[in-house]
Amino acid sequence: MEEPINRSQGGESDMECSDNECYEEYYYDLNDDSDIEQVDPSKKDPEHFEYKCLLEEQVERLLNETVERLSNMLDITPSLAKVLLHSHSWNNNEIVTKYRENPTNLLVTSRIEPAVSSTITHNARYIHCPVCVTPQSLDKFYSLSCSHMFCKDCWTTHFEVQITQGISTTISCMARDCVVLAPEDFVLKHLTRPNMREKYQQFTFQDYVKSHPELRFCPGPNCSIVIHSKEMKAKRATCSQCKSIFCFRCGMNYHAPTDCLVIKKWLTKCADDSETANYISAHTKDCPKCHICIEKNGGCNHMQCYNCKHDFCWMCLGDWKSHGSEYYECSRYRENPNIAHESVHAQNVLFQAREALKKYLHYYERWENHSKSLKLEEQTLEKLRSRINQKVMSGLGTWIDWQYLFSAAGLLAKCRYTLQYTYPFAYYMDPGPRKELFEYQQAQLEAEIENLSWKIERAETTDRGDLENQMDIAEKRRTTLLKDFLDV
Amino acid sequence: MAATRRLQKELGDIRNSGLKSFRDIQVDETNILTWQGLIVPENPPYNKGAFKIEINFPAEYPFKPPKINFKTKIYHPNIDEKGQVCLPIISAENWKPATKTDQVIQALVALVNEPEPEHPLRADLAEEYLKDKKKFSKNAEEYTKKHSEKRPAD
Repeated sequence: MEEPINRSQGGESDMECSDNECYEEYYYDLNDDSDIEQVDPSKKDPEHFEYKCLLEEQVERLLNETVERLSNMLDITPSLAKVLLHSHSWNNNEIVTKYRENPTNLLVTSRIEPAVSSTITHNARYIHCPVCVTPQSLDKFYSLSCSHMFCKDCWTTHFEVQITQGISTTISCMARDCVVLAPEDFVLKHLTRPNMREKYQQFTFQDYVKSHPELRFCPGPNCSIVIHSKEMKAKRATCSQCKSIFCFRCGMNYHAPTDCLVIKKWLTKCADDSETANYISAHTKDCPKCHICIEKNGGCNHMQCYNCKHDFCWMCLGDWKSHGSEYYECSRYRENPNIAHESVHAQNVLFQAREALKKYLHYYERWENHSKSLKLEEQTLEKLRSRINQKVMSGLGTWIDWQYLFSAAGLLAKCRYTLQYTYPFAYYMDPGPRKELFEYQQAQLEAEIENLSWKIERAETTDRGDLENQMDIAEKRRTTLLKDFLDV
Repeated sequence: MAATRRLQKELGDIRNSGLKSFRDIQVDETNILTWQGLIVPENPPYNKGAFKIEINFPAEYPFKPPKINFKTKIYHPNIDEKGQVCLPIISAENWKPATKTDQVIQALVALVNEPEPEHPLRADLAEEYLKDKKKFSKNAEEYTKKHSEKRPAD
């Protein structure tokens, strides 16, 4: 099977990119025409990323199409199709394959049907609800596929209590040890209060988007845009509504060439001085599977991630299953690392700590410095504006003649941004020829960025040749570095 | 309140069942949401005494799980110094509204009788339990004799 060609349809992706990128694409496209007809754009631009910004209705339509397709293929209700899709990361093919192999097994492992089907029959017209212990007529009772009967009011309260705790797609039957999930239609049938129905639908929508590898919520404050991309990679996405720029895979600030895990480690390390960071490192850990931050507020070391339900050991972060009833020694491992060595090599340890701090500060200072420069971008642009005004007033060219300085400033910011994110990358790199090469390229990029910055600040003529040349060099250095080291 | 009706039923059932391992259930008539009782373990080293516990039911019971606290100090890998106990059956993620209090108590008694060092709340005791069972038993027995409540006569 061949890969579908990743060319954007029409001008859709052009509409969503920033001015700089449009400029760039326009520039490259001209070259393209004379060259070959279709090249994989990611070969040319390591940051090339195809995605769409969707509104809630569009996401719902997209999800519903998948649901409908599966529900028709397997001849099941849309509600059950949703349960299957949610538990299989919306992978339609995988579900269909599994269904063809062994439908019962699929329905049991997806918690749609019970492992052991029971045939509980009630002959009496009145029975006691096991939850509220009230006798009621049989027609007030409902059950999931597992046949555990409970009264209507108890189902309603059960759902309301779960929803208030933020649980929606993983609400299960009320019987002890029963894992059968309540599908959407069953829950909605029992929810009467409009605000509860609304909350439930809002939470399920969030769960569906989060479980879908091709979707990501825009992390911008109060922004409801969802990014959709078939490429599930750590690439740069820009929200069409709130203009937030972030990494598609982890939702954090875009961080090329550093990868998602390393940037998280770095940011936590950098925030180490603050009380919050101390608390986070002392009381929380990341789930080893989905990497969500978990606070342990008591209880034993057998953890279950509330997000992905992964079972793991708090001490060693290993899969809980591997612990089984084996010998428990995770805590010992943590409590006395080299205590004996410490007294002997106290001096040595101190020296190493100081060296480690020195290394960290080296990278941190550079990281912080570029970050501050970027934060001053507004001021830089303001200065540029007033300088251009002066020039125009004194008859040196027109406003339009000087516009090229703004695109230069934009490119400068873009280059500086990448440069900033090269420092955490270098910090965690193992010493060796590859690191040397990286730091060589990094130094080159840094030099060209400073040149560009210097030239923008001192541009005295409307002759843009020299500056555009410098822009081209800086951008080339940036893309070369990314091509060689961006591994997504 | 749904909780009251169900708790009255459960309390009656437990009292009638004549459980040997959980006795002296005391419930304030004005507040059925708090129960106190005596855990009477069968297995050594805890069979030298009895342990007072408190069960607190939330107002949303049985849709939310009860909480259990040991009022008597105990030398046990799964129960910490504050009397907190890690019992999966009543954790928020695992809780089922149809789970009955007597099932919860049975799970608790089973845990007291057979510690689960693989799920420790006190890692130091879990380690001792696994590495030097004799020493653990001796310590636990001494601790029980010193701190626990008197066992009922029968």
